[in-house]
Amino acid sequence: MNNPTDIKERIKKNLVWKSIFRRDYRNTVRDRAQAIFGNIFLHLHPVQVREGAVKLRFTWGMGGITFFAFIILVITGVVLMFYYHPSIEQAYSDIKDLEFQVPFGVILRNLHRWGAHFMVIVVMIHMFRVFMTGSYKAPRQFNWGIGVILLVLTFLLSFTGYLTPWDQLGFWAITVGTNMGAATPLLGYQGPFSEFLHITPFNDVRFALLGGSRVAGNALLRAYIWHCVAIPLVSVILMFVHFWRVRKDGGISKPQK
Amino acid sequence: MATDNQNKSSYRVYLFVFFSVLLLLMTLWIVWDDEFGLRPWKKYQKEFKSLKHEQLQKEYDKAQSDFRKSGDAQTLARLEAQLKKAKDLFNSSEVQQKYKKLSGQWADVHESAARNQKELQTNRGQYLETEYYFTKTQKPEYKKKMDELQKRIDAITAKGAAMQKQEEALKAALVPFTSGIADIEAEIEKMKSPLEEKKERIGTSDKVPVEIKQVYIRDIDLADRCQSCHIGIDGSKQISTKQPFTRHPASFVFLKNHDPEKFGCTFCHRGQGRATTSVQKAHGNVKHWEEPMLEGDMTQTSCLKCHGDVKHLRGAEYIAQSTELIKKYGCYSCHKIPGYDSIGDVGPVLTEVGTKVNYSWAINWLLDPKNYFATARMPKFFFTQDEAESIADYLFSMSGTTRHDVDYSTETPDEKLVEQGKTLWSQARCNLCHITNGKGGNNVKVYAPDLSKVGSKVNKEWLFRWIKNPNAYFPGTKMPRFRFTDEEIKALVEYIVSEYTDDEASPKYTTPVEIKSESIKKGKDLIVKYGCYGCHKLQGMESMGQIAPSLVSQGVTFLKADEMREKIGTELSSIGSKPVDMLDFGKLKKSISNDRLSYIKQKLRDPRGYRLGLRMPNFRLTESEINGLAAVLYGYTDNNVPSRFMVPSRQELDKMAGVQSYKFTGDFAKIIEDVKCTNCHSIKGIGADYAPDLSLAGSKLQESWIRKFLANPDVIRPLLQQMPKLGLTGGAAPAKITMPKFNLGIQKVEDTNRSDVDVIINYFQQELVTTDIPKEIPVITTLTPEDQIAKGKELYDQKGCRSCHQVGTDGGALGPNLSNVGNRLNPGFIFRHLENARKFKPDIVEPNYGFSERERIYLTNYLMTLKLNAK
Repeated sequence: MNNPTDIKERIKKNLVWKSIFRRDYRNTVRDRAQAIFGNIFLHLHPVQVREGAVKLRFTWGMGGITFFAFIILVITGVVLMFYYHPSIEQAYSDIKDLEFQVPFGVILRNLHRWGAHFMVIVVMIHMFRVFMTGSYKAPRQFNWGIGVILLVLTFLLSFTGYLTPWDQLGFWAITVGTNMGAATPLLGYQGPFSEFLHITPFNDVRFALLGGSRVAGNALLRAYIWHCVAIPLVSVILMFVHFWRVRKDGGISKPQK
Repeated sequence: MATDNQNKSSYRVYLFVFFSVLLLLMTLWIVWDDEFGLRPWKKYQKEFKSLKHEQLQKEYDKAQSDFRKSGDAQTLARLEAQLKKAKDLFNSSEVQQKYKKLSGQWADVHESAARNQKELQTNRGQYLETEYYFTKTQKPEYKKKMDELQKRIDAITAKGAAMQKQEEALKAALVPFTSGIADIEAEIEKMKSPLEEKKERIGTSDKVPVEIKQVYIRDIDLADRCQSCHIGIDGSKQISTKQPFTRHPASFVFLKNHDPEKFGCTFCHRGQGRATTSVQKAHGNVKHWEEPMLEGDMTQTSCLKCHGDVKHLRGAEYIAQSTELIKKYGCYSCHKIPGYDSIGDVGPVLTEVGTKVNYSWAINWLLDPKNYFATARMPKFFFTQDEAESIADYLFSMSGTTRHDVDYSTETPDEKLVEQGKTLWSQARCNLCHITNGKGGNNVKVYAPDLSKVGSKVNKEWLFRWIKNPNAYFPGTKMPRFRFTDEEIKALVEYIVSEYTDDEASPKYTTPVEIKSESIKKGKDLIVKYGCYGCHKLQGMESMGQIAPSLVSQGVTFLKADEMREKIGTELSSIGSKPVDMLDFGKLKKSISNDRLSYIKQKLRDPRGYRLGLRMPNFRLTESEINGLAAVLYGYTDNNVPSRFMVPSRQELDKMAGVQSYKFTGDFAKIIEDVKCTNCHSIKGIGADYAPDLSLAGSKLQESWIRKFLANPDVIRPLLQQMPKLGLTGGAAPAKITMPKFNLGIQKVEDTNRSDVDVIINYFQQELVTTDIPKEIPVITTLTPEDQIAKGKELYDQKGCRSCHQVGTDGGALGPNLSNVGNRLNPGFIFRHLENARKFKPDIVEPNYGFSERERIYLTNYLMTLKLNAK
């Protein structure tokens, strides 16, 4: 009864154990493959990886690190949302409170902020590597396209997150950024032919981005929704496609023999 | 091959271990930093607590030693001995036997009484139940049962009452056994309790948790955590004079009226109230925080956020004094400043200035006003000689004159006239307002010009016209019209022109020179550019700066004239909260500190220093004036202040209530306009506080006294000379201050045949009265008048009135001299004044003695006998 193997056996025969782990694990090729197939978190991962593909010198691991940064940002971002109100009266005070009052607020906010910078840098290096190794070539053209969209989404996440502290830096960054939209042909009221196309400050892309004609409360709310809900959602979906395509296109690219 | 791999993996293990340890240490550091590093206030609070503990302990120790010394300890020891004796007696077997027997009896009775009570409850319950069934069914058996039960209940109740009596008797018999002990114990407790209380306070203060102390005001989203470090700021006692533990200075004014729980700290002091991690951050002395903490007098700038009127506000003396500078220099003439919309021009009317002054003088004045006299308020515009001539040319041509100077230095004055003029000069007390050769000018708020060199500035003809009727040349001037005869004016003019001359004056245009038309045009352009019309009324530019042309051209009609006023300078109504980004530091970006206050101060110091092309003139303010003005401007913010904080000024309240502000009427209004009584006196809230308030003069003063006084202020007035209040309001040393002789009563008011004095007296008696002050005082018939007066004198001596008031040569000088009070004041006023002095003068220092009505009658009767009979 008190024999450790007995206890182990009893636990393993338990229905809860069985429902979670399904079957015994023996260190065989078959079981290892089964573990990957049967696990939702790992099912995107190929069952087998060629040795050359894990060579750090070739891939730099930048795609994985980007995803890692993204996970950190999601986790810290969710926690930050508990302390933040997207209103112009409170936003800046909330940031100040994070700095001065919230337990571990400083590390929390700085993880999010520096993590964001890190992700932008890493994702660019990732793209650079993919380009330099020619990994965008057939059969990976489609995934390159997805990657480019993900790059833009990363930039947009960074841009929208810039406004959320509602400080001078973010305010002017958004002012400049949206003014660029206003000057874009066919989209902004300052672009060419805007008068001819009846584009005014009140119906152009800048208006849509700001939720008004000035950087004010609506702009903050929009930035917040884009930053915390809409763009992450789209990014996650596209990331799944991206990872899925990596597998379907023959795994992580590797040095040609 | 195998060893190679092994080497490689062991190297990896070391790396892994290294980074794991690093991560662990960093995590520990993060936790430590979050708990202590970022929360320095914990240290302060602990220190404060130990300081407080020390102080309370000291108090306790002192109380204890006092207790021991004062013989209370012996009393206590005696009481304790008594207590022991009483207890011993009580515990002796004999007493105990009796006591136990009695208490046993009592216990028995008490127990059976309790049983009885229980039985009663049971029966009552049954009765109620039966009653319920009976009312439902109406069966007689229930009725019968009810009767039975009722009988039983009555019996039990009777039994219970008997038992209670028995119980009480037994209890009373028990009391004497222990009462002695209880009394002694109570006495001991009473002696010990103050000490115990002190000890308890130590315990409570030790138990106060170390935590963030925050004030949060929802509607302005203000969260202050200042008291986390400044923990003793609102305490009832000074725990330590060390920062941050001190109490708020003068908290009986500031914190008493502004509960920190409702106002927070940063509402007045600014700074970064949310910050708790370092002193610099909390005080806002960090980059990118635009509101550094305000300290000392500068904090008074925040009074302006809520208080519409800071003039008589306690604790706001500095800002009240500084706001006067805005009026003095007329900042509102060029800038829009809240609360200064409807104030008149600062400078004199210049429509006919060519008939008044010498051309050479005008040029010198335009070049540098302070060079002419040091108290000049007009700023320096840095005109070139050429520009100054153009401006003077415009002004002179508009007055219809040429470039001309008058030079009296060669003439010999008529000695007799000069002598007569000198007497008039001193009788009219010209020096009360005007400075000559560094003397006089006590009534500073009228800003009368320095007359030391006036003989080389103006011509005799103009001076004659001016003294004869100042309003004709400059409507709204503060100069009164003295009722001089033409001969007297001539004498006065002769005296002024011969006495007060400028030795350095160099008249260039004694032979007039024609003015060129190009110069006039250039002058006009300059005047428009620099906005002279802001302060001066100019011919041909009457409407400039009054109505914004852009609004007029758009057909805006719904705005009031004040709201449409377009001013030459920047609007200053929210300068105190203007973002630093919006301030143009120009050339000085790197050489001065880039904060709002430094910007304002530098602008006042050197208005054109930031970049080329600025137009603001240099007022050459002293450094203290700069600080004062900057403090005022810093207070004009557009921060949203909840309406419950606002304290509107009297005028604003009147406006809100739709009350018309007081206006003088009839002939009296004409006299006020003419003699400018309100230059010195305040009447119904209008005017200055230089001379006594006349709002209730009709009730207060006797008619005959007013008549005598107006006819000849010199004779009666000296009685009040020592009144220190007069000297104080002027700010200068108390000089010999008397009211000027206006020669009232000589002339008749236009269109009537009443004299000035009659009009004044009539107005005083009709308008400046209150029903609160009776004409006559109640009469006491039980005592003879003489006895009443004697009793009044007795009271006067007894209450020490003479320590402040003077009668004859006896008494102090803090209060008014009462030697002639019987001639001056109405008895009704004295009677009411003795009841509550503050009723009519809220800031009076006279204490309230709480006299009875009778005492007040005696005192009034006595005071009314104090008369100086003019010989």
